Amino acid sequence: MKVAYERYHIAVKEAPPRVKLPPKFMVTRYNNCTNVQECMQACVYGVHEAGKDGKIAEPIHDLCRGCYMCVLKCPKSAISIGMNPEFEKLGNSYFSPDMIKTIYFEAETGRVPVSGAGYTGPFAGEGFDGIWFDFSEIVRPTRDGIHGREYISTSVDLGRRLQSLKFDQKHELVSNVPRTVEIPIPMIFDAPLSCRTGPNLQLALAKAASELKTFAILDAREYSSELTRYTASLIPRIKPDEIDSFENLVRMSQIVEVELSDGDVEDQLRNIKAINPSTLVCFYFPYDDEAPERADTIVKTGGDIVHLHVEDDAVERDPDVIKNAIRSVHSYLVEKRTRDSITLISSGGIGEAAHVPKSIILGANAVAVGIAYQIALGCRVCHGGKHSEDCPINVEDEDVELAAQRITNMIGAWRDQLLEVLGGMGLREVRRQTGEVGRAMFHEDLEAKVFGEKE
Amino acid sequence: MMQAELLFRTPETRPMPSPYPGSIEKYEVIIDRPKCSMCGICAEVCPSCIGSSTIDYEAYQKPDGYLRLAVPKISCTGLSCKRCVDKCPTNAISVKLSPQYVALGDLRWTGDLILSTWEQAETGRISRRYESRVGNSGGGFDKLRFDFELDGEGICQDGLLDVEDRDTSLALNKRRDGRPEIRIPIPVYGADMSFGSVSLNVMLARAKAAEAWDTFTSTGEGGYPDELIQYMDHVITQVATGHFGVTAETIKRARIIVLKYAQGAKPGLGGHLLADKVTPDVAKIREVVPNISLFSPFPFHNVYSVEDHYRHVQLMEDINPKALISVKVSTPTDVDMVAIGSYYAGAHILQIDGGFGGTGAAPDIAKKNIAMPVEYAIPIVHNYLVKEGVRDEITIMASGGIRTAFDVAKAIALGADGAVIGTTELVALGCKRCENCERGKGCPAGIATTDPALMYFIDMGWGSQRIINLYSSWKKQWSYILHKLGLKSIRELRPRCEVEFRGGRFNHMAHLDHLR
Repeated sequence: MKVAYERYHIAVKEAPPRVKLPPKFMVTRYNNCTNVQECMQACVYGVHEAGKDGKIAEPIHDLCRGCYMCVLKCPKSAISIGMNPEFEKLGNSYFSPDMIKTIYFEAETGRVPVSGAGYTGPFAGEGFDGIWFDFSEIVRPTRDGIHGREYISTSVDLGRRLQSLKFDQKHELVSNVPRTVEIPIPMIFDAPLSCRTGPNLQLALAKAASELKTFAILDAREYSSELTRYTASLIPRIKPDEIDSFENLVRMSQIVEVELSDGDVEDQLRNIKAINPSTLVCFYFPYDDEAPERADTIVKTGGDIVHLHVEDDAVERDPDVIKNAIRSVHSYLVEKRTRDSITLISSGGIGEAAHVPKSIILGANAVAVGIAYQIALGCRVCHGGKHSEDCPINVEDEDVELAAQRITNMIGAWRDQLLEVLGGMGLREVRRQTGEVGRAMFHEDLEAKVFGEKE
Repeated sequence: MMQAELLFRTPETRPMPSPYPGSIEKYEVIIDRPKCSMCGICAEVCPSCIGSSTIDYEAYQKPDGYLRLAVPKISCTGLSCKRCVDKCPTNAISVKLSPQYVALGDLRWTGDLILSTWEQAETGRISRRYESRVGNSGGGFDKLRFDFELDGEGICQDGLLDVEDRDTSLALNKRRDGRPEIRIPIPVYGADMSFGSVSLNVMLARAKAAEAWDTFTSTGEGGYPDELIQYMDHVITQVATGHFGVTAETIKRARIIVLKYAQGAKPGLGGHLLADKVTPDVAKIREVVPNISLFSPFPFHNVYSVEDHYRHVQLMEDINPKALISVKVSTPTDVDMVAIGSYYAGAHILQIDGGFGGTGAAPDIAKKNIAMPVEYAIPIVHNYLVKEGVRDEITIMASGGIRTAFDVAKAIALGADGAVIGTTELVALGCKRCENCERGKGCPAGIATTDPALMYFIDMGWGSQRIINLYSSWKKQWSYILHKLGLKSIRELRPRCEVEFRGGRFNHMAHLDHLR
């Protein structure tokens, strides 16, 4: 019997953080406080409470949301609210403290971040921050995906596609249709930073990938035996000269990722397909000026997936690099008329939900989420994400169940936000968003259109 | 036209201070106690900080051993003065930005803009103490300057005193279609904020202020509370996709009806009112069950084309043949097409709500990432309507991120006729934009809440006077801008032809420069 239709659902569940973030605000009570307790009346969040002795206790900074009512209502001006320097130190110039706080919220609750008051950030920025989505108004219908009233598909297919089908004279299909793997969300997990990799993190990641019905990339050399039950959700990343030594992994895996080298791509492909003819081969390479040609070579030699990576450090130095990377590769393949033959996965600089549809609208089919899921587990990107020994959070101490739930929650919240964007744009499926730059507005274009070209 | 101006009564400005004993000061004066010889010179040289020679030595000790002068109600003018610092014989005084000021506000609404708006709401005057014209967002209005601003210093009351009032009135019906001519004395009216997102007291305060200024405020999409009926000549009825509390009666009552097709804070999405704020009172007026989150559908399911749009406008005109129709849209890539569609559908007013608009609750992803900022949309729409030869038959109101009198003037110089003001009115009532309006009891300051215990923080009379004062201050600033530009009326500020910038300069009137 055919399995009944099942609607994709991400089971989010409260998952408190193991290590709390430092509070955003610091509330100081000076010692001219006369204990009139106006602050207690004023605060609706419970920052100011009386202790057992009836005296007002130390403020609970964690609960403060910066409304200043205690400051205004204190008859003695005995309270001050300021930014917490510990909070401001979080992250780096790209992964801002507020971005980290948002990921924490998403990982804990699985909910879409909603807030009052208008937008509070910069007018526009570099990279993803210089892109606005179009939406539908009056003349184009939107779709209501988030509240479940209309179905919006977030599935994407990984693998090669034919440009056309061929039939013989008896109308039988003669084209050899390549195998594809469908994932229900346009997100997979990139391999963890080498400094963080440990059995717990790998297990949590594999578990989350399996529950989300997507994939996690892991370095083949760091596979542990415990991961065996999750092989269906894992993509081993292999160096080209080690293909033979990981023969077993290649045989077990639906998708194999090979680090692109100067070696013969065709040869490597043949090697892998000889071991496992049905596996999909993904080529992974960092972005540089030759990335478009590299991608084209991969398509022409028969690779199934291109994984274009931009180092997080590079994005931090110049956020525009991720935008340029995806656009240049996508456009080059469009020009070569090979874009539709292959799947393009991009990674790097993904730090909030909006970055997923933005990567896709720039030309990716799916993204590999990297450091964001580590932030969900407590990473603070303190040393550019590259330090090793002295991690104050030590992601490895995380409980596997809880960690997997937090990753799942974050992706659940991200998918709901993806639905918000797709719904607003009136798109029925995320597949149709790939490369739709006509439905995006770029800061530099609008600036030139309205305020004139730079001189 | 000056005659028309004379017909308007200007409401009286009355001081309306904060009801709270505390305040948020921009600067902090710190006295190093061991060094201080208690000579009192600081108090003598201080023009405003300490005010008189009787220093209030009721200072208190900070944990680190420093003394902080208790100057709760007295405002230091800050780092540009520093007389006390310079004259102190023992170098015991330092002046710095106070930590609360540093933590206040955000890039769009800086601490200065919030404090300046409060000051204007309290006194109807503007001072040089705060940057009152632009925020720090790094684009749009914050990068546009009028010519005269480029070399001048900050604006303050002294510069405004001897400027005579200019005509700032705006005619809302430009179609000459036999419907009422409505002219408002200031080129702004109040934005749509529903009962539920804000309290009844706030709605009444806004309506009373709108009456005093002979302009408008709007119901938002949450129905028309009976208490508002006394101000019905100044209340716009909004018809939004949720149709909460919308009846033929509330449509017939209004002189202007706004059809909300989209909202800048959440373009492409319907309105949100989370469960906690759906109190029994709110539920009753919205005709829904209490304590359930309300998500308005999106879009109007009877409008999927310009033809549908035309019929929708006609439907409103059939119900109320005397009302002007305003169409509220946000800013997609083809906002110019939407605008011309609305013109042909029969709209009198087109409200363009830019992507950074205010909200009681919206997903963060929508606030930041969907739709273009209004600074781009205004000239795009204006130019297109000029090209189509219909610009003078429709009124364009800009909204979504318009914070100050200067923002309004810049929006007009970019091609709008006027602006719709939401957040700033709330800031005048004491909002600090802490972004907590969406859930729980809502606003701890009693503005964006329907919690009975909180909503009484806002007294209606107090609130309306604060908004009246704010617009008094704005009107003076518009007169000042017109005076500086040598214009007689604010209508002359709006370009007649297409807006085009060359090398950052506005080609037509050379009023506006875009800084790189």
